Amino acid sequence: MLKVRVIPILNFNGFGLVKTKQFYNPRMVGNPVQAARVYNSRGVDELAFVDINATKQNRKINLKLVKDVISECFMPVSIGGGIQSIEDINDLLRIGADKVIIKSKALTSPNFIKESVEFFGSQCISIALDVIREGREFIILNDFGLKLNALEFIENMQKIGIGEFVLNCVSSDGMMNGFDIGLINALESSIDVPVIAVGGAGLPVHFAELFKRTKIEAVGAASIYHFTQYTPLDIKFELIKNGVPIRMTS
Amino acid sequence: MIAIVDYGMGNLASVQKALNFLKLDNIITNDEIVIRNATSIILPGVGSFRTAMENLSRLNLISVLEDEVLIKKKKFLGICLGMQLLASLGTEQGSSKGLGWIDGKVIRIHAEGKRVPHLGWNEIHFKRNGMFNNMIDKNFYFIHSYHFVPDNPDNIFSTFNYGCEMVAGVIKDNILAFQFHPEKSQNAGLFLLKEYFNSEHA
Repeated sequence: MLKVRVIPILNFNGFGLVKTKQFYNPRMVGNPVQAARVYNSRGVDELAFVDINATKQNRKINLKLVKDVISECFMPVSIGGGIQSIEDINDLLRIGADKVIIKSKALTSPNFIKESVEFFGSQCISIALDVIREGREFIILNDFGLKLNALEFIENMQKIGIGEFVLNCVSSDGMMNGFDIGLINALESSIDVPVIAVGGAGLPVHFAELFKRTKIEAVGAASIYHFTQYTPLDIKFELIKNGVPIRMTS
Repeated sequence: MIAIVDYGMGNLASVQKALNFLKLDNIITNDEIVIRNATSIILPGVGSFRTAMENLSRLNLISVLEDEVLIKKKKFLGICLGMQLLASLGTEQGSSKGLGWIDGKVIRIHAEGKRVPHLGWNEIHFKRNGMFNNMIDKNFYFIHSYHFVPDNPDNIFSTFNYGCEMVAGVIKDNILAFQFHPEKSQNAGLFLLKEYFNSEHA
């Protein structure tokens, strides 16, 4: 039986790890290589590393640093931030990334995503969606002045054949008061590839609630690991208690 | 020396990292001489079946691998796409011929209500006794949209469940191959690699 994935997310700002609230007010929370080492030793199911400023600052991701992060990990690693070309993806896969997470470029150039899927295969192309509610509609927050309906965009990406979505619920980011179950269910029902739900985890019980009330099979989180005593293992114990299929490491 | 075959299909750095961690001598290569001199061979790979076969053919590696694995019977490990390529037929991006070392075909995963790709950690069940019997944690990391259906059930080494039973590993003489990624499966994967390459089996 497939187990749910508990995935810590390392948000990098070009200098160190940071954590935002509703995507604002980044706080410094540490060193990515150290963090990767700790998570590897704790047997997390997967790790995500995202340079949240690379695209905005129009720079490439620091491959040397990413390589150091990956070298700590004997589990799968997804890398995102500043991906603009086939060469960028190739650089990341060559140093051991298992998946790349693409956000901005998917919004401005769906053709690039098509090309990437054809070149590298579906399984290593993950698409990040920053979703907010606007009235009764779900739209994708972006810096390009584009009005994008989330459901239409999702359908388009699935047609192209991407391998996974990272679903960021912007209004619950960093709030630590639970996942936006309504939003997740509204979008998940039209998705047939794996989804990593992100945004809102503050207590282990929030994870159990997510898996009980949605069909999601993967969860990403950052704040809870930085600002509380809870570790991914605490989350896993809570999930086991609630009958959620989870991998425990020996 | 273990030769990790480099044919432009990704994933090599992780395989090498795991072997280095286990202090198993290895080299990433597509050089015929190096492959011929190696004691064991790993065929890794992610990406499309068709492209992979084209690359192996373009690099003139098919006959080299056949000599070393089928005739000289070197210890062989296929990983993910490197397992699927052993089949006689692939169906990704149209039909294409595989290496044909293990009869069978590779088809897209269709499981009612299940997401594709099959992505994440799944438990495997060994269909044979012997190697790896003393494993405790049998959860391994999978990421694939196609799966191998061998013609002869005797070639099935292990399976996983995803809506229905599918093949997680195949075996034939000195050939062993896995659909999952041992190099990405933490202690369980490292244990498996260590047992295989340190064993007399082959």
